Formats: sequence, structure tokens, C-alpha cells
Amino acid sequence: MGFVQFKGVTKTFGKSVAVDTMDLDIARGEFFSLLGPSGCGKSTTLRMLAGFVAPSTGSIHVHGRDITRLPPEARDIGIVFQNYAIFPHMTVFDNIAFGLVERGENRADIKRKVDAALDQVGLGGFGERFERQLSGGQKQRVALARVLVIEPEILLLDEPLSALDKKMREEMKFWIKNIQKSVGITTIYVTHDQSEALTMSDRIAVMNQGRILQVGSPVEIYERPNSRFIAEFIGESNLLSGRLTAGGVRVGDTVVPAAQAQGADGAEVALLIRPEQIRLEPVTEGEAPMLTGRVADEVYQGALRRYQVETGGQTVTVEVPNRPDLAQLPPGAEVALYWTPESGVALR
Amino acid sequence: MSALSTNVFAQARMKWLLVVPLLAFFVVFFVIPVGLLFATSLNPQAIGQVAVTADLTLDNYLRFFSRSNYLLAAGRSVILGVIVAAITVVVAYPMAYVIAKTEHPGRNTFLLILVLAAMQLDMVIRLYGMMVILGDEGLINQMLRGLGLIGAESSVQLMYNFMGVVMGLVQFALPFMILTLVGVIRGIDPSLEEAARSLGASRRRAFLRVTLPMSMPGILSGSLLVFALSISSYIVPALMGGFRVGVLPIHIFQQVAEGARFQFGATIAVILFVLSALAVAIYLRLGRRHSGGLA
Repeated sequence: MGFVQFKGVTKTFGKSVAVDTMDLDIARGEFFSLLGPSGCGKSTTLRMLAGFVAPSTGSIHVHGRDITRLPPEARDIGIVFQNYAIFPHMTVFDNIAFGLVERGENRADIKRKVDAALDQVGLGGFGERFERQLSGGQKQRVALARVLVIEPEILLLDEPLSALDKKMREEMKFWIKNIQKSVGITTIYVTHDQSEALTMSDRIAVMNQGRILQVGSPVEIYERPNSRFIAEFIGESNLLSGRLTAGGVRVGDTVVPAAQAQGADGAEVALLIRPEQIRLEPVTEGEAPMLTGRVADEVYQGALRRYQVETGGQTVTVEVPNRPDLAQLPPGAEVALYWTPESGVALR
Repeated sequence: MSALSTNVFAQARMKWLLVVPLLAFFVVFFVIPVGLLFATSLNPQAIGQVAVTADLTLDNYLRFFSRSNYLLAAGRSVILGVIVAAITVVVAYPMAYVIAKTEHPGRNTFLLILVLAAMQLDMVIRLYGMMVILGDEGLINQMLRGLGLIGAESSVQLMYNFMGVVMGLVQFALPFMILTLVGVIRGIDPSLEEAARSLGASRRRAFLRVTLPMSMPGILSGSLLVFALSISSYIVPALMGGFRVGVLPIHIFQQVAEGARFQFGATIAVILFVLSALAVAIYLRLGRRHSGGLA
């Protein structure tokens, strides 16, 4: 049984459905991401769990207890907001002490715990500062310390990296993940950024238009997406149109082996192959390629070369690592495309 | 390149031209009159004389500070301003909170129009309206008589006293306070209150520890505005107090309009001005504390 459970939860605002009959099970200690484009209902899901909005129907359970009607302060769930929501009229110390004060702890305990929390997030000595004297990354750390110090059962993170610059974002990704692991707290992370979700999560739920499309590990989500939407939303993808046939997918005149190729013969499908999983070679007499084509374009990107290859009227993007031992393939060259059979996924 | 940079500098210079009309207005209609007022207050008493002379003396100020009725009037003005500001904050805050938290645009506009509607009528007309309610033969006294709570010939004194002036000023000042507070409360990020809630604060505690302290800049500037409006108001003490509540503006009027003693009237006006300036100084000091050490 899941530690956090959504049972048939729907939230409507007027006529629009933000979250549509959601069922969700999250295990204790898990780092779980809700991933989807803006407006997909992921933030509403988080706000329902935090207690800021009530579900229209359905119920939410934590540890077997129905919390659907509990006010936020009775839920024991901590949240870090996108803009951090640091109290600007309080020092960093008082911000972190806020929850402890509300719990009626004595001053000595508060002092000890806040100092420990400041050290934990690497902000020792910052206690007397105010919000406006902090950088984005420091605000982030204060917001996290303020939540962790009350040792909640669940930690909610609402796009916590989106206000940071790229370099800081990379750094904080691993930092948050490390803290989460060392504390062992059940964490639900809302993001529209697939790389954040893939890097940090134990499991990911991909959402669109108020529904969960797929729940799985980062590997499953990336390598075995169950829909074209997910294939296109997460990472770069080639989606070749073809028809189901015995042994795979017929693309043009060639039959290509593919995973998940269930369905009636002749059904229209898209064959997903990730650009980095394709090997590109000059046409030779050796091993039979998956497809053959002609290089239409080559773009040098430093760490890799990016090719557009035309095959039977469709274009395939291929990313090749920039290694001197790999053959140069100028535009116009006839090429063979190779990949392992598991790399091809047939999607309806 | 050089043409472009010249242009940018020219534009920066042009920007200052935008404040010239206001500055000119301010100098002609505020700085010069107040300066003349100061000068007049330093001239010796000469009944009927308006013009400023080079003959300077502190006699008028000595006279003000040696007469207890003027000092009492100054004290009465300050107490009036403080009481009105305090009552106005308490009455205006809930209304301002509701308006600020009403997201529906139509309803929000409607509430603001209600507030502004109170400002559409001239103060004199609004005060006569209050007399209909508060006067000796007014609605409240009639009701009390009808209920037999007071004798048929008697009445409760609701106006022509200090409380009457306070009520008149509160109703005059409310819209100013509400509008000031709405702006400040609306500027408070709602996620701050949510953060407080999820950290374990009840709705009431979240309000007391986050929303209210963050409203302090608005409460302070609104109070300052109301204080200044209240201590400088002449029409409200005149009509609601019936000249029986001797605050500084009433004394100014009596000196100038009834006694033609412009010099002493100017002196009282300067003292009123200084009281307002003191309030601003106190406000700045408190404001600094509430903005977390840095104003």
C-alpha cells in the first residue's frame, strides 16, 4: 500500500478540469516527480496534497489516514515554493524557527535545531540576514531548511529550481537529491523540466491535461514511453510513421524490429528511436542495417555532431559523439543506420 | 555610435523636464506660501496687516507657549489625530483585506466603487448627513426616545463634542485608509501565508505572524495620512464640534477670520505644520524598524 495515495481525485475550477480522476500511489521515502507541461494539473495536485485547495471529489490518504479535509497546518507536510516564500520581515533564523515556534518548542531547542539546520544546508552564520541579502541559491537553502527542521512526513517541492540560473540549477539538482537521500524523506517534486525529473527521481508520473499518462522509473519513462506525447515531451525523439507487421514495424519497404509491437497487423504506429541510440556508418557489405538513407545536413555541436538523414521520405535525427575514430559523413553521403532492436519502440 | 549615445543622454536629460510642471506648481502653491507663513509668524502682532515685514520677533511663539488654552488645543489636536487614526485602522483593515483578497474582477471593482463613492460628495454635505443621524433631534435620539430608554424631552449628546468630531473624521478618513491598505495587502505574496500554514500555523496565527506584520508599512503610512488629515481639518471640528471642540484649526480660523490677527494665526499654523512633520519623523523611524533594518 502506498504511503501517499490519491483515490479518484478530481479538481474542477468552474468548467475547466484541472485534475481528472487521479489515482496515485507513492511509496515511503521515494523521490517522486510530477512532470508535465504548464497547465497539466501537476501544481494543483501538489496544492491539494498540501491542503491549499480541496479536491472536488475523491480522497487523499497519507499513511492510511484520510487527510482530504484536514487544514494545511494539521497535515505535517512541508512545501518549498517556486519563489521560496521566505518571510521578508524576519531574519533567516526566525524564518527557520517559524515552524518550531508554532509547535511550542522551547527557546533552547529552537536555537539548537535552527543552528543545526543552517549547518545542514551550508548557511552557518547566515542567521541574522534578511531575505533581500540572500542570493537565489541561498533563499532556496533557507526555504528547504525551514521545512526540514520541522521533520515533516512529506516534502513537497514546487518547481524549486526554475528561478535559478542554469549553473546554479545543475548544482542544486544534485544538492537537493543528496539532502533528500540523507534525510530519507518522502518527496514529491513538481517540474516541467524533464532533465530535472530524470536526474533526481526514483519514479516519475507524466501528466497532461489533468491526467497521469504513465508512471515509471526514469529509465522506463525515457526508454519505454507509452505514448507519442511522452516520447516527444521527454528528450529528443525520432517518430517514424509505419505500420505494424509480424516481427516489427514496416517503415517504407523495410521491416524494423520494435518493442511493444502489439496490435492488429497493418495498424498505423510511430516508431520511436532516440537520436543518440543510432549508429551511423558508411554503407558497406557487412551487417544488414536497420535503415539506409542519405545525409541531408550535418551540424557541429562541439561534443557531438548532429545529422539529419533522409530515409524513404522521412527525416531521422542522429547524434554522433565527436570522436576522431568515427567516419566523417558529409551531406549527400549514403549511410546505413544501426541500432539495437530494443531501442525501437512502436507507439500508437 | 556617438550619435546614438548623444541621443541617450539627451533622453536622460529630457526625462527631468517631465517633473518641471509639478515642480513649478509645488513651488508657487506650496513652498512660497508656507515660506510666507513662516515669515508672517515671525512678524509682530498687527491687527489687519497681511503683508510681511522685515521686523522679526518670537513674541507670537512666546504667546502661544505661555497660554494654556493654546497648549491644550495642540494636545487636543494630537490626541484627536491619534484616536481617529487608530479607529480608522481598526475599521478599515477588515474591509481592505476583503477587497485585496477578492480576485473576481467584477466584485473587486464593485467593492472599490463602494469605497470611492463615499468620497464623491463634498465633506459639508456628508457632515449634514451625519447630523441627521447624530443630532439632538436625529434618528438615534428619536429611536432612543421611541424605545423609552431616555425621557421624551431629553437627548443624548452625540455631536457638538469630541466624539462627534472623531466620528466625522473617521468617516472622512476611511476611504484614504482603505485604499492605502488595499495596495499593501495586495502586494503580500499569498504563498507567504500558505508557507506559514504548512509550517503549522493556524489561519489566525498565520495572519498574526505574517500578514499583519507585512501590512505594517500600509498601516503606518495610512495612519500618518489620516493623522495629518485629522489635525488639519477645519470643517469637521467646525460642523461636528460646533466650535466647542477647540483644536488648532479652529483657533487659526478665529485668529484670522474673526480677529484679523494674521501673525498669530500664522504662528498656530506653523505649529500645526511642525506637529505633522513630527508625525512623519516618527513614521520614518517605525517604518525603518518594520522593513527589517533598511528603509
